Amino acid sequence: MKYIFLFVSIFLTMASSWSQDFEIKGTVKDATLNDFLPGVNVVVRNQTRGTTTDFDGNFTIDKIKVGDVLVISYLGYTTKEITIKNSDFLTIMLTEDVSALSEVVVVGYGTQTKKEITGAVSVVDAQTIEELNPTRIEQALQGQVAGVQITPESGSPGSGSSIRIRGISTNGDARPLILVDGNVIEDLSVINPGDIESINVLKDATAGIYGVRAANGVILITTKTGKRNTDLKFSYDMFGGFQQTSRKIPVLNATEYALITNEAFAAGGQAIPFPDVSRLGEGTNWQDEVFQNAPIINHNLTLSGGTEKSSYSFGTSLLTQDGIVGGSKANFKRYTTRVNFDTNLLDNLVLTTNLIYTGTNNKNLNEGGLGSVLFNAVNNAPTFNVREANGQFSLAEGLGNEVINPIAQIADTYNTTVVNKIMGKIGLKYSFLNDFSAESNFQFNYAEVQGRNFQPTLFYGSGKVFNNPGRNVLTVNKDIFRDYTWDNFLNYNKTIGDNHNVSATLGMSVFQTTGLFSGGNQGFFETPIDFANARIEDTVDQRNELQLSGRANQFDERLLSYFTRLQYNYKGKYLISGVLRRDGSTKFGPDNRFGFFPSGSIGWVVSDESFLADNSTINFLKLRASYGILGNDRIPSNGFRGVLGGEAAYVFNNQLNVSGRAVGVLPNPQIQWEQQETLNIGFDLKLFDNKIDITADYFTKTTNELLLQPPASGILGVAAPGSQPPVVNAGTVENEGVEFAIGYKNYVSDDFDFNINYNVTFLENRVLSVNNGTGFVAGGGFGVGQDLPARFEEGQPIGYFFGLQTDGIFQNQAEIEDHATQLNAAPGDIRFVDTNNDGEITPEDRVAIGNPIPAATMGLNFSFNYKNWDFNTYAFASIGNEIVRNYERVQPLVNRSVYTLNRWVGEGTSNTVPRVTTGATLNNQFSDYFIEDGSFVRLQSLQLGYSFPTGLSERFGVSKLRLYTSVNNLFTLTKYRGFDPNVTSGSPVGSGIDGGVYPVPRTYLLGINLKF
Amino acid sequence: MINKNMKIKYSLFAVIALIFTNSCSDEFVNVASFDENSEEFFNSKEDYDAALVGAYDLLQSTYLNVMLGEIASDNTLAGGESATDVPGIQEVDDMTHTPLNEDLRNIFNWMFAGVNRANYILEFKDKTDFPGKEGVIAEATFLRAYYYFELVKWFGDVPLAVDTRLLFGDQDIVERTPKAEVYAQIEIDLQFAAANLPYVQTETGRVTKGAAQALLGKAYLFQNKFTEAAVVLDDLIANGPHDLLTDYTTMFENDNENNIESVFEVQYIDVEGAGFGCLQCSEGNVAVGFNGIRNYTGPLFDSGFSFNIPTQKVVDAFEVGDGRKDVAILDINAWANENAGVSFVEGFEHTGFYNRKYIARQGDSNIGDANLTNPNNYRAIRFADVLLMAAEAHNRKPASDDARARGYINRVRDRAFGDTDHQLSVSGAALTDAIANERQLELVGEGHRFFDLVRTGRAAQEIPGFTTGKNEVFPIPSIEIELAGNRWNQNPGY
Repeated sequence: MKYIFLFVSIFLTMASSWSQDFEIKGTVKDATLNDFLPGVNVVVRNQTRGTTTDFDGNFTIDKIKVGDVLVISYLGYTTKEITIKNSDFLTIMLTEDVSALSEVVVVGYGTQTKKEITGAVSVVDAQTIEELNPTRIEQALQGQVAGVQITPESGSPGSGSSIRIRGISTNGDARPLILVDGNVIEDLSVINPGDIESINVLKDATAGIYGVRAANGVILITTKTGKRNTDLKFSYDMFGGFQQTSRKIPVLNATEYALITNEAFAAGGQAIPFPDVSRLGEGTNWQDEVFQNAPIINHNLTLSGGTEKSSYSFGTSLLTQDGIVGGSKANFKRYTTRVNFDTNLLDNLVLTTNLIYTGTNNKNLNEGGLGSVLFNAVNNAPTFNVREANGQFSLAEGLGNEVINPIAQIADTYNTTVVNKIMGKIGLKYSFLNDFSAESNFQFNYAEVQGRNFQPTLFYGSGKVFNNPGRNVLTVNKDIFRDYTWDNFLNYNKTIGDNHNVSATLGMSVFQTTGLFSGGNQGFFETPIDFANARIEDTVDQRNELQLSGRANQFDERLLSYFTRLQYNYKGKYLISGVLRRDGSTKFGPDNRFGFFPSGSIGWVVSDESFLADNSTINFLKLRASYGILGNDRIPSNGFRGVLGGEAAYVFNNQLNVSGRAVGVLPNPQIQWEQQETLNIGFDLKLFDNKIDITADYFTKTTNELLLQPPASGILGVAAPGSQPPVVNAGTVENEGVEFAIGYKNYVSDDFDFNINYNVTFLENRVLSVNNGTGFVAGGGFGVGQDLPARFEEGQPIGYFFGLQTDGIFQNQAEIEDHATQLNAAPGDIRFVDTNNDGEITPEDRVAIGNPIPAATMGLNFSFNYKNWDFNTYAFASIGNEIVRNYERVQPLVNRSVYTLNRWVGEGTSNTVPRVTTGATLNNQFSDYFIEDGSFVRLQSLQLGYSFPTGLSERFGVSKLRLYTSVNNLFTLTKYRGFDPNVTSGSPVGSGIDGGVYPVPRTYLLGINLKF
Repeated sequence: MINKNMKIKYSLFAVIALIFTNSCSDEFVNVASFDENSEEFFNSKEDYDAALVGAYDLLQSTYLNVMLGEIASDNTLAGGESATDVPGIQEVDDMTHTPLNEDLRNIFNWMFAGVNRANYILEFKDKTDFPGKEGVIAEATFLRAYYYFELVKWFGDVPLAVDTRLLFGDQDIVERTPKAEVYAQIEIDLQFAAANLPYVQTETGRVTKGAAQALLGKAYLFQNKFTEAAVVLDDLIANGPHDLLTDYTTMFENDNENNIESVFEVQYIDVEGAGFGCLQCSEGNVAVGFNGIRNYTGPLFDSGFSFNIPTQKVVDAFEVGDGRKDVAILDINAWANENAGVSFVEGFEHTGFYNRKYIARQGDSNIGDANLTNPNNYRAIRFADVLLMAAEAHNRKPASDDARARGYINRVRDRAFGDTDHQLSVSGAALTDAIANERQLELVGEGHRFFDLVRTGRAAQEIPGFTTGKNEVFPIPSIEIELAGNRWNQNPGY
């Protein structure tokens, strides 16, 4: 009877529900905190309608039938599905998704949840960025993401970093593709890190959706947006502090210098330059003179909110930073203003817009090698005062033609580079026919770069190459860069039955970048003038080389792409995905202009299988594999055709005629894109209540048809002014590696939780072939006038060091006589190894003596929260890379590093540091004597914060008030003797050669985060 | 609402359809270059003129041929800052140069760059006609001969390309052409140039009939074709506009460029900056800065890098009363004693002497890098050289005419001593030696000596370290052999 009643009542209910729709109301709350959740998506499954919760977490949906399923989803929470049984008020508790598997990851022309991802994709979120206080966005990636190596190109304000994803796959331009909200950004200095919501790095074939630009990896940056149905929120973040040098290279003081210099002159049979050393004392420490504490300050104001139909976000920031060398003479300023706005024009039509304005103003000093301020500070003699008694700067007489007084150099440097840039996006997304959506996004960049440089008449000493005995020169230039990307694509998402999830993307994209160069307008002032008032209009004898020559002052590069992606999964357990992209690039000739780039990936969520379903240890396990063919077209334009861009100038009638025409880069009609085969196998694992999170990947990347510009035969005229060898496809490089990341987080109590994350990348780089006649390409530079020290050669890593091998120091004449013939050898000189056993030390004895690529890089992050205190520290390390010491100018009278104190001065005194002499020796030939271990561990960040209790701060209308102090780059453990082991020249062949790099400063900061 | 929805839907479809079909055909990525395409050039006189400027441009890079040629001889030492300052130059001085020498590679590459730019014009010589085209073609032809003459002098057999560029890919095919064939082409080119060029050009700096005749005479001389040399040089001496400059002391000063004695002069100017990254790009005479006095301060001269240091031997070779000595040789210690405020630093292999004809002087605009932008022209072929070549040709030709030879050499000597008391009266082999000696003294510092010694077979006796059968030519840079597919044989002995 009871059953009959039940049956009947159900039947009646159902019947009534068939016959009538009803309205349903509910509220959504956080299961843990019991707070109302605004902005939660509530949609009716298999229908394209739904709503979001209001400020109080309430929602109303009409036309509901019994049996309808409501899908309630909210970022960071586990999605819940509720089958409607009646029209009762619903109270839905959402639990925070501790596994974050539902986190949405941007993968290019769409998103996927973390669970669905079948490739190697890493994410850095806004919180990490906040904790690191980066002034540039690259700094937030440093050591955070396995497989991504960030190396600063300098520590000076505003300078960039080299970004390498999974090794160096080309000896050409190895920069990844970087998209900010779909907009191509080549120069990250214009991005305010405070505007960034997340950074996603596509490391494997997942990047294949970007086809011919994907081979160096893709970084997708998303800016902050508002949330629907939220009140207007302000946040203000500020940090300020000072920077100081992280290291000074110990050099000789005046007395030591004079004694050792005398010794060198005596050994060379010359009169000693300092007959009386008794009154020299310590002398001038040029590095103390050059380095200073420099302020840095950053303000960032964000406001955001949203209504039911729209959301908005606005941000503005100001960064100003002086240099630890040159102070305000090396200042970098950045102003940014950003607006993001999106709105539902219709229920199913969303307009998304953003606009970012950036202005930067940068002043530069000569840095990074021979002639740089720091090079001069290391090499200038300590016996000179900064200024002479008459107040004039001292002249660095006798120190060769390149070493000058660095303080005078700073004082005489006048330049500014001003960048004004606007980046924007307009996008429309239209959803239709339940399962389809169409998107059209237009992104653009417009930048004006204006440079001003003033060179007064200068005299640094006789014969100095930096002298300007002529006239006061002002040079101004203005270049304009424009580009746009227009993406149009169609998405299809459908769940067929309960188990088959299909999605498909089909789209196209056009990209065009153009530029217009003014050339340098140069003019002269007959009398010195204040730089601030120097206007080109007031100069005489104005000249513009580019305009005079009549050569092209523009470029126009384009890309036309079609792409499709198909994804299928069965119950979210077996995942498969395929991508095909066709790209057409203006970089290549008619025969090779278009290419197809296929890639695919599979995944298996093992933990969803029944045998692991209730496993108490393993919460989640996914196995992944991907394979694809990606391209790289980062080469200069017009490589396939001969273009008359060379230099052709001669003198007729005693007038320079610059109107000549000659071929520039030699053409190679056959060039095509680099083709990279990339394979990735990995797994994601979560253990012990999701406390431990492990991701591991093994990868190989083989780049074929490597685009090189190797030296070409001179008979082709390649050495003509303005000419260059053709770009050819002439090599194969392989990168093989393993990435491993492990995280542990423990929510011990409401008062205490902590987090540890560690990642490591092992990488091996090998050049498999170089087909250019010589079998190698040389690069880099060592000393003055020496052979190129780095090579790109078969069987070796890219950019390995090539030079003589040493075997200690000759202790006596007998050892010299027993050894292979070595020119000018005397006791105390370096003993070189006769590697080819021909009885003579010659350039033929050069071998591989070092590798600039680290064998392993790693990062470690530890943070905890205790009551109102938070602590965060972060370190990274690089193991196994070598650095060439090239900041010493070999000149009889320049200063030397303190290790010279341990030189050879007689039999048995040293077997590592050779004697000093001004005579001819081979000691300064490039050899492993100049190669040092560049491994290091750096404590990059240490931060301690205190958040005022909510009740206290709310009394002042503030929802959050946090104060913190932090130190960046506190210390570095390394054996390397130069300024900084973690700075690179950026170019693959020639990296790791240290010409006196500008060290990354140590920074002490105080900061405040305010939300109201 | 539905209507609006439909409208939007259809317009979106229309937009997408448009994008996929019309607006972005593959033609979108077919973009012309902003600079002219090399294969679509030569459509006007201006195009030919512009390409010709490009062919002239490489003449300026011959500063290295001049400097290194002088250093290779017994006239000068390498000098510089130290024994390792520009190793390529030091090695050539010591005759220890190997196929790895970077400076020799520069000469090889720069001269071939000149050849290719001249051949670019000649490859397209029939494309467009305009009045005066023969002159343009003749200039280009001369330039090709000039560059090839340098190449055979330095390297012997070199790949010969006539009226066609060597394009990427050709390096794997072309062979070294025997020296005799290269000379044959040089003769054809210079005969053509001489026939189609005027003795006086409207613009100074352009090659003339005289230049072509003088170079042709020199090319004959280098092949011991003395009779042919005598004919063409006599013609130039008799009919050309050139004469000896009366005052030898003003010959090499910047304000006396393109004087009556200049048969051919490489033009330099000081209006454009330059850097070490591309020495061949400089519009200035790089050798002048390299030769300059190290860390000099004082009157008249500017500082430089103290290369190309005259030996005591060449200083001693001058007879008493020879006015050329103080023009060619600067005794820096004497100069410092005579002038207040002179200071300098002794460089490597300091002898106390500088190559005064081509060292840096004050008075130019000093545009940076001041060492690389000195404006002084290189007097490539002087009328004195022509007279001495003619004298040698008449003396050494089968039916020798020593009287005429003496006439020519004595014109040079009269000017040198400022009187007629030093005229020569010798004949035969003694006259041959006297002419050779006169060439050394007249042309010291101008880069001719080494090649004169080689072609007359006296290099081994005069140049320390010179190996007969090897050092007559320099090695083909080994990297160039490799870049050309490793097929060429190296010159003997290297």
